[in-house]
Amino acid sequence: MRELLHEILSSLRNNKLRTVLTGFAVSWGIFLLIALLGAGNGLMNSFMGNMEDYISQSVTVEGWRTSKPYAGYKEGRRIYLDQKDVQYTQGSEWRGVIENVSVSTPSTSATLSLSGNTVDGGLRGVMPDFQEQDKLKLAAGRFINPQDVIQKRKVVVISTAQAKELKPGEPEDLVGTWISIGQISYLVVGVYHTDERSFRRTVPIPYSTYKGIYDSSDKIEGITFNLKGVNTQQDHKAFEENYGGAIRRMHSIAPDDSRGIWIRNGYTDNMQMNTAGRMIRTAMWILGLLTLVSGIVGVSNIMLITVKERTHEFGIRKAIGAKPRNILSLIIAESIVITSIFGYVGMFLGMLACQVMDKTIGQNSVDLGMEKIQMLVNPSVGLDVAVEATLVLILAGTLAGIIPAWKAARVKPIEALRAE
Amino acid sequence: MALIELSDINKTYNNGQPLHVLKGINLQIQRGEFVSIMGASGSGKSTLLNILGILDNYDTGTYTLDGKLIKNLTEKQSADYRNRMIGFIFQSFNLIGFKTALENVELPLYYQGVPRKKRQELAMEYLEKLGLTPWASHFPNEMSGGQKQRVAIARALITHPQIILADEPTGALDSKTSVEVMQLLKRLNQEEGITIIVVTHESGVANETDKIIHIKDGIIGQIEENTRHDAWGGPIIK
Repeated sequence: MRELLHEILSSLRNNKLRTVLTGFAVSWGIFLLIALLGAGNGLMNSFMGNMEDYISQSVTVEGWRTSKPYAGYKEGRRIYLDQKDVQYTQGSEWRGVIENVSVSTPSTSATLSLSGNTVDGGLRGVMPDFQEQDKLKLAAGRFINPQDVIQKRKVVVISTAQAKELKPGEPEDLVGTWISIGQISYLVVGVYHTDERSFRRTVPIPYSTYKGIYDSSDKIEGITFNLKGVNTQQDHKAFEENYGGAIRRMHSIAPDDSRGIWIRNGYTDNMQMNTAGRMIRTAMWILGLLTLVSGIVGVSNIMLITVKERTHEFGIRKAIGAKPRNILSLIIAESIVITSIFGYVGMFLGMLACQVMDKTIGQNSVDLGMEKIQMLVNPSVGLDVAVEATLVLILAGTLAGIIPAWKAARVKPIEALRAE
Repeated sequence: MALIELSDINKTYNNGQPLHVLKGINLQIQRGEFVSIMGASGSGKSTLLNILGILDNYDTGTYTLDGKLIKNLTEKQSADYRNRMIGFIFQSFNLIGFKTALENVELPLYYQGVPRKKRQELAMEYLEKLGLTPWASHFPNEMSGGQKQRVAIARALITHPQIILADEPTGALDSKTSVEVMQLLKRLNQEEGITIIVVTHESGVANETDKIIHIKDGIIGQIEENTRHDAWGGPIIK
């Protein structure tokens, strides 16, 4: 084995151009595959990550403006949900299907202040479920809990951006501090995370506290709940029609007016997202495999030429005593050594390219007006995928070498010696 | 018993038009002989040499080498016989270009499975014998024709073969070097008792050997005992 390796290395060292060409085909194939899959994954992560901010596993019903005249009302009427809708949603009709019903108020702009520092925010009365439903990530402290709602506590959760304006330093410094919102003092119990690309400025307070102080009407901005036992797209469609139809009847909205009541269904959004995600992933794999095929073709091509070019040398070797097995193992071992070494190089460079993408394009974000979206998030390929792809290429390169190697090994020495 | 015994060897090439190259060759070569096979191009001398060297097969007849019948051998067997019994010297040297002189010389031993260290020792020994010690680490393209042929001779000798087959060994050399190479072969034959068969179309080269076998149109013609060459000792006429 060591002898064979030594033989191969001397052959590779003395045929630099051929070695480099073969190696380049291998490296390039693996490099492209990994860079492509990495970029694809980055795109997927960005797509999924940005969507996660909006999509939750819940349904939100909101009042909107009608688009059709109905039952004596003109079009363009503003619909407000009220306590009757909440009772209907929680009612026996939907028992076992609708769970965790929670409500929130409209948001009103308010000024937060602390020892002379002020910052604006949208004050909104919410239930404890809001954190999960609005996908708020806490940086410090806690979110509004059921006790806050029951006791109508004057507690507030603010964003890290707002915390920074009120008091420079770490967000947790503000937890436990009393701040003023308008004329009323609130205790900061938690700080949720916002980054520079987010324009989120909601200031959640307990629903009951909001209702008690700012708005004693029955107006409810949104009803949010979870669904149970509704699984397929068709089931969701049927649910939306039945439930939405009932709400529309209660507010005298035309049955075919989709604008009066807006049902935002996070479940179906998620399903569509997953379908889209699967499609992107499949497309990436197809592209990747095609790249791999081109790499394999490159390697096979060079193997073919190599064997042809070396026929005379094999003739000499056979004349002085090389058995067919010796020739075969020489070619195969050579192709394994080349594809492994350069495959590894390609893998390394591909991963490096992913890092570079992360540091350059990954840092760019596209301004969508409302929010900034990062183009690529963590573009990378799992080490397992990279190693598997490299192994596939090594195997393919070797297999590609076997047929010409077999032919070369079978050629009669006299014919091989005649070849130039 | 003769080292080489050919009886009624026939060989036909079937490339489109059948070409009957060897038409019943009968030949015996004794151990320790220094023989040349001489003929014009197309006479079948190279085919004969290839059959002797187990590089090519024959259609009918028998060929025994050192008591072994050389017929219907597997690739593996013939490779083994070539490796252990025959040393080749070619007109175009047939050295491997990307290997040094030393590596070229030790290659036959590699196929015998001799360990590297031992191989290199032996190869150095043979290079020294042929006055090539300073060239051991040189590549073929850095050497003259005569030097290359001496490397090839060292490679042929290293396995202690029964016979050396030389196919136009001086064909690519100038006359001065040709003389040197032929003198070298003669010395190997006389001093080491190695059987040497030289194929050539040059009478000057054939004249250096002890026996000249003339071949014409695939048939052995005259076999000429050549005892005068030592006395004559003149330069090879090119």
